[in-house]
Amino acid sequence: MKRLVSAAIGVAALLGLSAAASAQGAYPNRPVRVVVPFAAGGTTDIFARLIADKLSQSLGQQFIIDNRGGAGGNIGADAVAKSPPDGYTLVMGTVGTHAINASLYSKMPYDPLNDFEGVAFAAGVPNLMVVNPKNVKATNVKDFIAEAKSSTKKFNMASSGNGTSIHLSGELFKQMTGIEMPHVPYRGSGPAINDLVGGQVDVMFDNLPSSIEQAKAGNLRALAVTSSRRSPALPDVPTLDESGLPGFEASSWFALFAPKGTPPDILNKLNAEVRKALEGEDLKRRFAELGGEIRPMSPAELMAYVRAEHAKWAQVVKASGAKLD
Amino acid sequence: MGDLIANLGLGFGTVFGLIPVDIPGLGVVPIPLNILLCFVGCLVGTLVGVLPGVGPVASIAMLLPITFKFDPTGALIMLAGIYYGAQYGGSTTAILVNIPGEATSVVTTLDGHQMARRGRAGVALGIAAIGSFFAGCVATVFIAAVGAPLTRLALIFGPAEYFSLMVMGLVFAVVLARGSILRAIAMILVGILFSTVGTDLETGQERMTFGMQFLSDGIDFAVLAMGLFGVAEILRNLDHTEVRDVVKQAIGRLLPSMQDMKDSAKPILRGTFIGGILGILPGNGAVLGPFASYTIEKKLAKDPRRFGQGAIEGVAGPESANNAGAQTSFIPLLTLGIPPNAVMALMVGAMTIHGIVPGPQVMTKNPSLFWGMIASMWVGNLMLLIINLPMIGLWVRLLKVPYRLMFPAILMFCSIGIYSINSLPTDVFFIGLFGLIGYALIKFGFEPAPLLLGFVLGKLMEENLRRALIISRGDMMTFIERPVSAVLLVIAIVMLALALLPSIRKSREEVFVDD
Repeated sequence: MKRLVSAAIGVAALLGLSAAASAQGAYPNRPVRVVVPFAAGGTTDIFARLIADKLSQSLGQQFIIDNRGGAGGNIGADAVAKSPPDGYTLVMGTVGTHAINASLYSKMPYDPLNDFEGVAFAAGVPNLMVVNPKNVKATNVKDFIAEAKSSTKKFNMASSGNGTSIHLSGELFKQMTGIEMPHVPYRGSGPAINDLVGGQVDVMFDNLPSSIEQAKAGNLRALAVTSSRRSPALPDVPTLDESGLPGFEASSWFALFAPKGTPPDILNKLNAEVRKALEGEDLKRRFAELGGEIRPMSPAELMAYVRAEHAKWAQVVKASGAKLD
Repeated sequence: MGDLIANLGLGFGTVFGLIPVDIPGLGVVPIPLNILLCFVGCLVGTLVGVLPGVGPVASIAMLLPITFKFDPTGALIMLAGIYYGAQYGGSTTAILVNIPGEATSVVTTLDGHQMARRGRAGVALGIAAIGSFFAGCVATVFIAAVGAPLTRLALIFGPAEYFSLMVMGLVFAVVLARGSILRAIAMILVGILFSTVGTDLETGQERMTFGMQFLSDGIDFAVLAMGLFGVAEILRNLDHTEVRDVVKQAIGRLLPSMQDMKDSAKPILRGTFIGGILGILPGNGAVLGPFASYTIEKKLAKDPRRFGQGAIEGVAGPESANNAGAQTSFIPLLTLGIPPNAVMALMVGAMTIHGIVPGPQVMTKNPSLFWGMIASMWVGNLMLLIINLPMIGLWVRLLKVPYRLMFPAILMFCSIGIYSINSLPTDVFFIGLFGLIGYALIKFGFEPAPLLLGFVLGKLMEENLRRALIISRGDMMTFIERPVSAVLLVIAIVMLALALLPSIRKSREEVFVDD
């Protein structure tokens, strides 16, 4: 239904434009489709909608959100990789679609490094190491490691699914500390947090926004954030890097990409508009509420960042044995 | 008690309050915006939910963007309205054309559609609306009064308890079967087999996907249900054109009679209770509500053979359970900020988009939102009754349309509905494929309902079994050592014994007769 509506809007807008006989004007002169490779209502969707709304205002054309979920985001990202590189189809990529999945899936329908052009970095969201306060005595990471190593009953680590940034942050933690924690995957963060609060599992490296309120209410205890800097949302919680795991950095991130071959002037124009929108008071506040950290990057810097992330996660995936064959 | 009344007062104040709105051409006018949004949500939800295969999750996902323009309270009231509307719309499709929009309306097809075939479509729709309204009212008061303490129930349910609950659910499926128990068990197993298609949650291994990407997330429930029920039903109707019962029968009464109401009163009460309790459980416990209610009604009935032949209790109970569960599944979201199922996860997204971070403090931080939503649930249920009772006449008249015109329209709406959910052309092919399978099953005397239940519960059962075993380090005793889990397993065994005993006895009698 929504697709029908958006198609109808698109057709109507096209007719209107051709009637005005100015179809060859500057980009954009017709609605732009922003593919969100996950379901409506998730973090990727929310970031995409907030930015699309601002772009629609500043560029005078509708930026329409098209949710095409499935296969860890691969279906939606693949659709954009194979779209014409004219700047009218973009994708809100994530650490999953553009860094982790390539090492995880044995058959990738697209190449995240060579099938896309970077448009703009949207936000990085740290993960939060939270424990059940009844099952875990430790109040800091050092004690947690000691407790995990001493106790005969090993801790269980929950995640929102195999190969997600939540799972792999935990795997990276296990690799760097050498402690053993069986991985208990759930379908999404909600049910996992439910069981963590209920004490069925003991620890999780959840995306910050979905567990920050539980930590503030005392249902969970936050031990550390996984980003390289402390989160402004939780200034008292140390980073893992500070807590004796130097170099630990694992964030979820979200960025706009266009198909390979999209003209540089379109990329630069979009990059400038997205950055302007993100620096406005409105989005700054909304992103901060969601735990999102804004990092201005040019299209080239974004692709360099993606390559670095790609290499980092490839190692973690390989060492963890999480590969999907 | 005084608190409760004050809180509900705040809630109803929010719902009915006048809000100044800038209307172009009229200037700023105070209008009861929230109540209008509630009405529009229920109406749009009903209309979209009637599309075959489009259940609440798909409806909310589609309509989510239109709520972005309103303030958070108004937007959430509207979304809640869409939710109940879509849920009720799904029941309408289940009764009229035998296509369940989502797992919880599978049961409604069993007797609801049979009633429609016997010219009692209006009565079935009416009792569904009345049962839903009653269940909704009770559940709303329930949430307002004891929502917070009940949250604990959601927290004691871990993977082991969940697995045992699903075992109990599958036993319900056996009891629910109309004919041969052996065939029912076979169908459940096929359903479980279908549920294993897709990416393995724990290892990431692709199972039975044949390398096809669209299968990597498994088979969509709507695709399976629409094929096995909707398309198969069309094939079956076309196959014996003489008895196109849906069309030929007189329309009969539009609304339930006093006798119907009397027959339905107790099933509605029981359904409300069962559905309400199961709705609180995390991870889609509400799915079991209608099945449990149906099973209990069938067990309690003086003549269980009427079930599957258009017994009104088989519609009243499950529909009440369905709606009670839909309401109480808000409890974990409202009190803890944890979404128990896909619909509630969308609600979390909507809250976040509007700048409200869902969590345990929503109740104290945004009291007008919290109590406004609870009050709007009650208002939403009233709206549904107001919208749907007059529409029953319209729906029933649709059945008078000659079948040769009707079935292409149903097929077309099925295709549009299923394509709009995932935008995958393969989904459209698959409803055709499952339609053929469903037709073959009907011809060989197998029922599709246990298959669907096996499909829904199979995935939950497998995942929770594996989670429970990871946590217990592979110790099977965990299912018996945990008290809640043990009780559920005992109930399952007793139910199974009760279901199997009569048939064993019967076959023995038959043996004697042969002698």
